[in-house]
Amino acid sequence: MRKDLVFGMAGSGGDGIVSAGDSLLQAASAEGYHGVMTKSFGSQIRGGESSCRVRISTDPVLNPGGNLDVAVALNWEDFLKFGAELPVAGTTVVIYEAATGVPENQIPLVGVTPLQVIAVPIAEMAKAHAGTERAKNTVVLGLIAGWFGIGAVAVMKGISKKLAKKSQELVDANQKAFDAGMAFAKEHPLKADMTIVPLENKGGVKLLTDGNDMCAAAAIFAGCQFFGGYPITPSTEIMQFFTNHVWKYGGAVLQAEDEIAGIGAAVGASFAGKKAMTATSGPGLSLKSEMMGLASIAELPLVIVDVQRGGPSTGLPTKTEQSDLFAAAFSAHGDVIRPVLAPTSVADTFRTTIEAFNIAEYYQTPVIILSDQEIASRKETLDPIDTSQFKIIDRLKPTGADLQDYKRFKQTENHISPISHPGMLGGTYLASGIEHVESGAPTNSGSVHARMNDKRTKKFDPLKERKDLFEITGNPDAPLALVAWGSVAGVCREALQMAREQGLDVKLMVPYLLYPVAEQTYRDFFASVQKGLVVEQSHLAQTFKVLRMHLDLPKGLQSLARSGANPFLPGEIVAALHHLLAELQRSHEGKLQPQE
Amino acid sequence: MSATMTPNVNTPGDFQAKDYKSDLKPIWCPGCGDYSVVQGIYRALAAIGRPPHEIAFISGIGCSSRIPGYTTAYGFNTVHGRALPIAQGIKLANPDLLVLAAGGDGDGFSIGGGHIAHLIRRNIDITYIVMDNQIYGLTKGQLSPTSQKGRTTCTSPHGSLENPVNPLLYVLAYGAGFVAQASPTDLVGMAAIIEEAIRYPGFAFVNIQSPCVTYGEEAQQIKGLKAISETLESLGHDPSDRLAAMNLAQNYGTKLNLGVFYRNPEPAPTYDGLVRERQAQLSQGAPSKERILDLFIKK
Ligand SMILES: Cc1ncc(C[n+]2csc(CCOP(=O)(O)OP(=O)(O)O)c2C)c(N)n1
Ligand code: SF4
Repeated sequence: MRKDLVFGMAGSGGDGIVSAGDSLLQAASAEGYHGVMTKSFGSQIRGGESSCRVRISTDPVLNPGGNLDVAVALNWEDFLKFGAELPVAGTTVVIYEAATGVPENQIPLVGVTPLQVIAVPIAEMAKAHAGTERAKNTVVLGLIAGWFGIGAVAVMKGISKKLAKKSQELVDANQKAFDAGMAFAKEHPLKADMTIVPLENKGGVKLLTDGNDMCAAAAIFAGCQFFGGYPITPSTEIMQFFTNHVWKYGGAVLQAEDEIAGIGAAVGASFAGKKAMTATSGPGLSLKSEMMGLASIAELPLVIVDVQRGGPSTGLPTKTEQSDLFAAAFSAHGDVIRPVLAPTSVADTFRTTIEAFNIAEYYQTPVIILSDQEIASRKETLDPIDTSQFKIIDRLKPTGADLQDYKRFKQTENHISPISHPGMLGGTYLASGIEHVESGAPTNSGSVHARMNDKRTKKFDPLKERKDLFEITGNPDAPLALVAWGSVAGVCREALQMAREQGLDVKLMVPYLLYPVAEQTYRDFFASVQKGLVVEQSHLAQTFKVLRMHLDLPKGLQSLARSGANPFLPGEIVAALHHLLAELQRSHEGKLQPQE
Repeated sequence: MSATMTPNVNTPGDFQAKDYKSDLKPIWCPGCGDYSVVQGIYRALAAIGRPPHEIAFISGIGCSSRIPGYTTAYGFNTVHGRALPIAQGIKLANPDLLVLAAGGDGDGFSIGGGHIAHLIRRNIDITYIVMDNQIYGLTKGQLSPTSQKGRTTCTSPHGSLENPVNPLLYVLAYGAGFVAQASPTDLVGMAAIIEEAIRYPGFAFVNIQSPCVTYGEEAQQIKGLKAISETLESLGHDPSDRLAAMNLAQNYGTKLNLGVFYRNPEPAPTYDGLVRERQAQLSQGAPSKERILDLFIKK
């Protein structure tokens, strides 16, 4: 029996692979399991290949998992297009469509011999039992229920609920297809027992959602009342969630004519006193950068979500990467600090988004949430969140005394000035992108400019002191270390567990605050570190470079960086740690040699 | 919303033109037409009587875009070409505000040209005033989208090869509900037109021929404008006739027709108004914000 199973499925656009994955995950979560699902498409809209990866576990899951335990190929050629995203290993059970799959003797196409390869006439079974090939995905779900013990009841409950609206015949047909899959599995037992451990305690209510929906829900929870944006993969669902829900809370949403107008409307809404947000991906972030500069100098709160995908330009629009850090932190003209935060999972997208609004409001600044395609579109089961534990911060409003002789950009001890908004008697002022004196009146005085730059940058000093924006796990004095953020952090959390089980003394830092760089927090973390890895999905190793730009890194700290799409595997990170440890031991041996 | 807000009041006499004039001293060149435009705006606002703190006045970048700073309203001098997107965000965030947008012909019809169509089709209740000097003033005299073909400027030293945009036809073609033209040669008429534009419930556009005395052409100066001025009233134009308005708009560049080209006799619903309606509909029985994660519960 298994506590953890990773499924990878691929087929052509019409095969219903992603909806099969959805049903599987929903059924598993209804049965009390934890799980995540990521999906991946070719760039075609329809008819192209699509895939999903579903990991189901008795314990909370930190990432989509490594090598597949189960590979389902409705079309072997399509399956192979996802190469490194759906890696087959010697422990994998491969199930493939007998009609379109390749002959069994050609199976180790990817250079490995799987544990077992089973050809199933999936389409034929669908046709025979449900009367249509469209039920192929239901047959697959039946096979999974039969072989792995997941979803025997819950899958059909979910499917029936969906199809009942259409017709009872459809429900019955799908039930037959499902049963046929189950029966096939029973008749063809696996070489190894791969059923999942049944749960005794189902663990109560679970939430099931993806990073984009979570981000939008968190924004509404944080009090966001305006969203302006323009569709772009993989961020669009954030806008869609807003169009569904924000009206209920007195908010508004605008699908603007372009990214500039989208962020512009959000800047306007913020000036008008409302919490506002925009969301985009790489190319859209580039378009928004002039407005971000405006919001910085006008000291207006604003949250910008950048769901990273492979770049530059339209790059890999449906695949994940972590290569927008430079753009997020630096794509501005002038001297300006713009806080950048990153969630590491669907669950903590909730907290990170609220934090982004709180920071934006408190510091009166644009804040970027650097999400990525994987977190944004992966579905995760999560335990209910106690929302009462979150504090919501609103911008500092002027009091009666401030309004006597109101100065919008007044120098204060913490560099934060009370901010009025249209409609507030006594608070009128001129906001502008032009440098201004305390009242808001334009100036081109160099000394005022220097003072105001000082105000706009120094106000962030306390942010850099916040330890709660960093997660540090492992022995605090460990000589080995990992640093990772975003979706890669989940892989590193698992690598840390594995490494520690293997006796390595290693610790992990996961920054939620990427910029400004909290120098002291890193210095403290690195104090004990002799060897370490900054792990990231960026060809240029952007994170490593940003850190190096701001502080002296330990000599033994190295970069483990690569372009996006292909995920890191926990095992590969552990192997790299072993390598570092060996180096470390060699260098200690060296110290024992007589020195010249 | 602030408790001090007094939406939809109209108390002429409570405020005078000078109440809308700020302490900032304009830094336009002496004789610039924009001096007159801001006077017109003071007068129009006084006639309407909304207190300055209930007005948001948004501009882009250019000489003309400095105008919000010279009023006592909440002002926002934003980035080049983007006054309208920002203004609409303000209006949607708080439809009770009186929202004005203003800027130059370059700001509005070149870099920002793509936005106008969309504010018009959404019919956001904003008044947009363009100070059309047919040149780029702030950047010192380059060709503008409304410069006449053949015009020599520092970026068209051998004469422009481009046809100009016709701002009036442009907004009429997109279906604006209120389109007018004014001139600083007639301050009283200009103030009346701006007032009417503000009162129009929907997107309203006012083109004002505002001379640039530093980089402008002779024909664009006050004397030249007077020579080609002609009120629409004197032509017997019926402002409810959109086709007639489009016909007359063709005079742009040769005649300076002053007055209201088009006013939709049955103003269409505004986007900001529709937003309010939707908010009211959908807020009924909505679960509390604190329970928003319940949407993700799978049973
Ligand atoms: C993105 C951007 N591009 C260019 C500029 C430079 N710029 C400032 S104002 C302006 C044109 C001004 O002309 P217009 O809008 O007609 O206004 P005027 O000064 O004539 O009143 C330009 C090109 C800028 N500020 N920002
Ligand atoms: S350059 Fe022209 S438009 Fe600008 S202030 Fe001077 S006269 Fe006015």
